[in-house]
Amino acid sequence: METFLFYLCGGLMLGAAAMTVASRSAVAAAVWLVFSFVCAAGVFALLAAPFLAILQILIYAGAIMVLFLFVIMMLQGPVLPAEVAGRTVGRKALLALPAAAIAVILISWAARGREASFGATPVTGTAAAVAELLLNRYLLAFELISIVLLVAIVGAMSLGRNEEGQP
Amino acid sequence: MQVMTDLFARIFGDGLSSLGLLVAGGLTMALIMALVMASCAIVFTWAERKVAGFIQSRYGPMRVGRWHGVLQPVADMVKILGKEDIVPRDADKPLFMLAPFVIFVGSLMAWAAIPFAPGFIAADLDLGLFYIFAVSSAATIGILMAGWASNNKWSLYGAARGAAQAVSYEIPLALACIPVVMITGSLNMNDIVIAQQGGIWRWHFLHDPFLFVAFLLYFVASIAEVNRGPFDLPETESELVAGYHTEYTGMRFAFFFLAEYANLFLVSCVATAVFLGGWQPLFGPVFLPGLVFVIKAVLLVLLQMWLRWTLPRLRVDQLMHVCWKVMVPLALVCVLGAGIWMLATGQAG
Repeated sequence: METFLFYLCGGLMLGAAAMTVASRSAVAAAVWLVFSFVCAAGVFALLAAPFLAILQILIYAGAIMVLFLFVIMMLQGPVLPAEVAGRTVGRKALLALPAAAIAVILISWAARGREASFGATPVTGTAAAVAELLLNRYLLAFELISIVLLVAIVGAMSLGRNEEGQP
Repeated sequence: MQVMTDLFARIFGDGLSSLGLLVAGGLTMALIMALVMASCAIVFTWAERKVAGFIQSRYGPMRVGRWHGVLQPVADMVKILGKEDIVPRDADKPLFMLAPFVIFVGSLMAWAAIPFAPGFIAADLDLGLFYIFAVSSAATIGILMAGWASNNKWSLYGAARGAAQAVSYEIPLALACIPVVMITGSLNMNDIVIAQQGGIWRWHFLHDPFLFVAFLLYFVASIAEVNRGPFDLPETESELVAGYHTEYTGMRFAFFFLAEYANLFLVSCVATAVFLGGWQPLFGPVFLPGLVFVIKAVLLVLLQMWLRWTLPRLRVDQLMHVCWKVMVPLALVCVLGAGIWMLATGQAG
């Protein structure tokens, strides 16, 4: 059952990711990407990491992709005309070849001498386990990252202001 | 879920494997939740019209059904099912058709973690509260899809407002629940309700002053989260026709409508479970837990309706001001204050 669900989620995730690259409309691509994230959350849940699975949906599907869609819609996301898309098929296939080669190398390297195992991993990703790591063991790194994010926010704010200093 | 799987196990004996039990139990719970959602929409549309009528010194629906127009929602439903299903010619068809279902499914998934009574919860997740926030935030995608795919500027503006509002108000909504999670030490909805055992003085909103403020913050943010007045900017009739569902008709429109009322009840259910003691009665032992839970949630819904028909609508800049400059800092103060309170009263481990 778990094996079946794993391959289902993984397959759908890869298919949705492929559709993200292949769709002609930017909005459709973004929606396929959301679907891919949801399937990734399913894979995380099967890997005994429920906290990560829910974070994946909350942060990526619920927040980041909403912002992405916002930007695409405000800029009237481009829809490639059919003939342009037709012309680029050959180029796409050409570009897909090295990508596929890299994927094969990575997968064969990752699978080298390892059994595919899931569901029975000794480490569990419950909220408590994640909190233990973030707020005890890696507390300094965690807090430093928050400072980096703060700097990024302040930078974006100052770049976004116009000449008169109005927000 | 447990209740259902036990029930099926009793009915079928050993005829079903554990997997079969799981699937059957899950399907039944999903069906029950969908029925609860549908009946919410039916009851609340009627109630909303009656409340609006009462507040504006008029009757509201009076004709259909002998007593005070009780069958009005049924008549409306028949009407809406009979409408032509129109897809605008220049709409982005697949997205246009998918959007209502994304919103509906996002709402239905969140229902899975609501504890209506001891043991009567579709999915007793360890991260229940967190899960509810996650899946309901994912439904925002559906709003944007609907607005974009309609290929209509009013829809797009409505969707942009709706998504901006939902993303912003999620933050005070979640922050307001954090003090409760700190006190309970769990994100499981059952544990949160059980921690409030023993009468009204044990309910979380009366735990300490900070939690009372957190409850008020949650309530205000939840009204904004479900896009209802005075925060109904995504569907301001005077400016945007009807917002992101302007182009929808018939059954597809009904799904938006269903999701709106279901979300209204959902946020009230979460408030009941997290702050108002869930199925625990005002005093005395647990008595008819499911009914107690529903009564509390319905009272909160009526309060939201009262506010909707009493207060004027905010402007967009006021909406964002209230969220980011008032509610988020206040919610952070509540989290800090509740932590200090726990340390001072020796509840922290």
